[in-house]
Amino acid sequence: MIVAEQKSLAEIRQMITPYQRVLILGCGTCMTVCNAGGEREVSFLHNALRLAESRSGNGIHTFSEYTVKRQCDYEFLDSLVDKIGDVDAILSLGCGIGVQAIAERLPDLPVLPGVNTSFMGMAEEWGVWDERCAACGDCILAETGGICPITRCTKGILNGPCAGTKNGKCEANKDMDCAWILIYKRLERLGQLDKMRRYYPLRNFRTIPRPRRVASKASIDVGEGNG
Amino acid sequence: MANSLFEEKLYSGEFLVTTEVGPPKGADISEMVHHIDLLKDKVDAINITDHQSSVMRFPSLGGCLLVKERGGEPILQVTCRDRNRLALQADLLLAYSRGINNVLCLTGDSVDVGDHKEAKPVFDSDSVQLLKIIRTMESGTDIGGNELKGTPKFCIGASVHPEADFIEPQLIKFDKKVAAGAQFFQTQGIFDLRSLRRFMQYASQFDVKILAGIIVLASAGMARYMNNNVPGIIVPQATIDELASAEKDKRLQKGIEIAVGLIKTIKEENLCHGVHIMAVGNERIVPDILEAAQLAGVRH
Amino acid sequence: MHSPVSDAHNYRANRTEKYLDHSLMPPCQAACPLHMDVRGYVDLVAQGKIMEALQSIRSGNPFPSICAYVCTHPCEDACRRCQVDKPVAIRALKRFAVEFGGDRMVQAEAETTQQEKVAIVGSGPAGMACAYYLRKLGYPATIFEAHSEMGGMLRVGIPQYRLPRQVLDTEVQRLTQMGVEIRLSTKVVSLDLLFDLGYKAIFITIGAHQSLRMGIEGEESPGVIDGATFLREVNLGLKPSLGERVAVVGGGNVAIDAARTAVRLGTKRVNILYRRGRAEMPADPEEVEQALGEGIEILFLVIPTRIKRGNGRLSVTCVRMELGAPDASSRRRPVPIKDSEFNEEFDTLITAIGQAPQTPGGFDVRMGKGSTIQVDPTTLTTNRVGVFAGGDAVTGPATVTEALAAGRLAASRIDDYLQHRYPVAGKAEREKLVGDLLPETIEMIRKISRLEPPILLPEARVKDFEPVELVYDWETATNEARRCLRCGMGAEILFQDKCATCLTCLKVCPYHVPCLDASGTIQIPAEQCQACGICVAECPAKVIVLRKPYDRRSINEELDHILKSAAESKSKPFIVGFCCQYGLFGIGTLANLWRGAKAGVWIVPVLCVAKVEAEQILRAFEMGAEGVFIAGCGEQCSREDTAFWVRQRVEKVRKVLAQVGFETERLQTFFPSTTNEDLAPELDKFAEQIGRLYLASAIMQEVKS
Repeated sequence: MIVAEQKSLAEIRQMITPYQRVLILGCGTCMTVCNAGGEREVSFLHNALRLAESRSGNGIHTFSEYTVKRQCDYEFLDSLVDKIGDVDAILSLGCGIGVQAIAERLPDLPVLPGVNTSFMGMAEEWGVWDERCAACGDCILAETGGICPITRCTKGILNGPCAGTKNGKCEANKDMDCAWILIYKRLERLGQLDKMRRYYPLRNFRTIPRPRRVASKASIDVGEGNG
Repeated sequence: MANSLFEEKLYSGEFLVTTEVGPPKGADISEMVHHIDLLKDKVDAINITDHQSSVMRFPSLGGCLLVKERGGEPILQVTCRDRNRLALQADLLLAYSRGINNVLCLTGDSVDVGDHKEAKPVFDSDSVQLLKIIRTMESGTDIGGNELKGTPKFCIGASVHPEADFIEPQLIKFDKKVAAGAQFFQTQGIFDLRSLRRFMQYASQFDVKILAGIIVLASAGMARYMNNNVPGIIVPQATIDELASAEKDKRLQKGIEIAVGLIKTIKEENLCHGVHIMAVGNERIVPDILEAAQLAGVRH
Repeated sequence: MHSPVSDAHNYRANRTEKYLDHSLMPPCQAACPLHMDVRGYVDLVAQGKIMEALQSIRSGNPFPSICAYVCTHPCEDACRRCQVDKPVAIRALKRFAVEFGGDRMVQAEAETTQQEKVAIVGSGPAGMACAYYLRKLGYPATIFEAHSEMGGMLRVGIPQYRLPRQVLDTEVQRLTQMGVEIRLSTKVVSLDLLFDLGYKAIFITIGAHQSLRMGIEGEESPGVIDGATFLREVNLGLKPSLGERVAVVGGGNVAIDAARTAVRLGTKRVNILYRRGRAEMPADPEEVEQALGEGIEILFLVIPTRIKRGNGRLSVTCVRMELGAPDASSRRRPVPIKDSEFNEEFDTLITAIGQAPQTPGGFDVRMGKGSTIQVDPTTLTTNRVGVFAGGDAVTGPATVTEALAAGRLAASRIDDYLQHRYPVAGKAEREKLVGDLLPETIEMIRKISRLEPPILLPEARVKDFEPVELVYDWETATNEARRCLRCGMGAEILFQDKCATCLTCLKVCPYHVPCLDASGTIQIPAEQCQACGICVAECPAKVIVLRKPYDRRSINEELDHILKSAAESKSKPFIVGFCCQYGLFGIGTLANLWRGAKAGVWIVPVLCVAKVEAEQILRAFEMGAEGVFIAGCGEQCSREDTAFWVRQRVEKVRKVLAQVGFETERLQTFFPSTTNEDLAPELDKFAEQIGRLYLASAIMQEVKS
């Protein structure tokens, strides 16, 4: 799941300054799950912005709110068409993908990001999310006991722990587990420590020339007909 | 034929002494020059640190050039934190071309511990891969497989952490460094000789030279600070207590005593092949330590 | 390239919430013969809304004051708190609502809109209820009572210490007010005569007043009296002379009533002889306990076999019993022990081993087992056209509540009959809550001891026929009512298609109720949910509602109302307080604040602060509140983690306050750690602080302009 964090109210207010009528648009998928932009966050932000307006004494903005199931597909955005008639900008609480999908679908309307898209991860407990995947495009989890050193080691190194690990934690953050200690323990448990002894050569960053594209459909010439 | 003076010494059977000099933050290199001059004839080689603790400084390569200019034997510390594989290879070519032939390959501290926390951490390679990069270059091609015009040759080393609180994964990494071609190792700071003895029992099966890292602590507060903030350092409580027991103006003296004690024992027991003295900002006292440890004398 | 806007793909985020009552029928309601909305009125008592509670009770029960005293409360036996600790004291709470809600003042009215006269034979609870509902339906109704006073068993069977006569008289009075015609001392012997008199339908509810005989030697002796007759005599004002030592034979409520009545008549020593053990006694355990407290001895596993009279006393031969194999009633059948006979001397022996109806032959209705009248149980019709029957006369001795239910059913069936309608089934009942609490849920539910209403000490109560049980005080009643688990009112996912399956509900539930089913859909099992509302206020997709969703709506409505009033009052600065209405108002902690209600403190009553959403707090500020506070029961709350979640939301709102230039102290929570802690001074302090902040900001405004 994509995890994001809502931008500060101050930053959001700064962004919307030029626009009078703002539609706050939530996303019913990842942003709902990570508590950054679901229907509740949309109304909370709506209330917070209105409070800020009433406090500032010279508020000019008016807000509306709406939440689509997913912002990252054009089809879901079609229902926006009749919501934006009198809107000057969309404040999207979708991830960076959602914001761009809106920009592509609604070429004449400014769209503003209301969240900082942070990472792909999962909930550790209620209200706490941890990164798990860096989308490197070259997965080596089979070699590392299902624990990703690229994501979870602050240096993303492949050949074992650095010397900075202490008490099983990372030198960069004492609350963060050292990925390589986790990998060692898990491989030991699985009886696969030989995988850790193996030399891993330099990573192939060529797998991610940006922007990336994945195609799961076969290329078939239209001319070939349906027979 | 040896690739460097240091490599020659490495296989001479002598008890080796290396130390390190931290480059300045700024363009004024006078103090560094002073330290190099002070130490160049008293040790077998001088490391120049590479943005130690991820604090931006004068570069290691520049420091090594100075050592060379002043007639010393430099060891170039190279970390993977700041340079991708292109920059690493290029720097190595430059080093070789200027007679800097000893390289200590390090992964490098996390940028989060340094003074540029917002920097992009590169880590295009790790220490093991860096060793491999050098060995590949020595075979005549860059790591892209393209032929090099002029092939460099190095004496390469790496670090190891015998006092790590969880040693097994560190030993696996040590093995991989040996396999990748490391000829010598400078250990992280040693405070408890029992762990060094245990480690040497393991390491003696390999044909590599081990230099025990000796950190000179200036006070108990410094020890505690390093424990909490400097990656790879674990000062035991006993050492901290010993430092704290000394009178206020004699604490550095105490730190020197501890270091000298360790060096003497290592040498007497012939525990490993030499010592690497890390004075961490107190480079001026290294000659005193050598004196006290009866290691003084012109080493070139 | 893109598909045209299609409704099928539209995701309607802003659907208006459906405020439907999806709540399931709780076990208490299902167990009640009258299907009273027990959960509803207990909840109202918990909020201190006593008048509303009484209103709810009256809507389901024609004579709540009577039930408040004598109901055998099957609801409490079904109460799911039994699985946690002890059931909610529902009957005592009803009594509290009746007494404090002003039941005595309630006026009953009815208008005659129908021609057809209906005769009711018998004035017991079934007859009274039937008359009540017939009048409500507009029929002229006449009650014929053989005794000189109204009430049937309520009058002649139940001792006054259990049901004070003025309570019954009040209800009879109301029936008269409603226009029920009452013919006392009129024994109906022929139904034909009633039809001849113009009655179009007859309801026979003559009760079961005939005591069963033991069938032993000497049963006819002077000094042997049957329980029903004994109680009737006492209840109608006679004072039979019983002598020094009395034996009562039997183990039911009549036996206990007879024994306790004998004690109150001054008998020195009263024994109950019962052929089974205490566990098998059909009498209400509370009554048995009280009887023992009054010095009555119960001889278990004993049965009299012969009575001999001599020297003015009774020599009763008894035999000891042991319990054998279970009989038809699934209780173990007592078997005499050989050679265990013994003799006891008594002055009086009261037999109370059961009663049966005694239907006059002239009624000409078909009889069933145990001389009961045979009826179709769904229509209460007998074999004679226009003749209905119900109550003990049909069922044999049963409870008052069952009789009331029979009377109500009879009224509606008689109405069907007179209107030539097919009897329509009662309106579709709500789905019943089935299933017990799981051990894991029980483990998480806070144990709260049951609070009993005070009862008179035995020494005081044996002196006369005054009611034994007293009424709760206000605080005890609201606290007891808060123990209700609000079964069947829990959370449900209203818009399953909008659920992002984020698992928030699963993670925030203090009772670990929500779960994933095999298909990966979140389920909130209704029988486990404790209706605390935390997941409702936390759900990021806002798709969870409570099955009885008055909470959120009422908070929004109250908030709107209060914000409007506050704005109109022009008293500045004003403070909005979200205050738990469970207990707090009832126990008076906040009542002080209400009274004090310094100008500008406006209170939004909420049913547990865990249901206050962060958005609602922001809204209060937006609409001009200078300060907001949330006051809840804290550690006293009957639910888990409520204060924790309130604090989470408060922190979230404070972040916003800080960013819009409000001091975060403007938002406070108050959770007393004990019930006795008085919040009023703290709240006063808060109000003063807000006053100062307001003043400071007003000055700043001045300076700026």
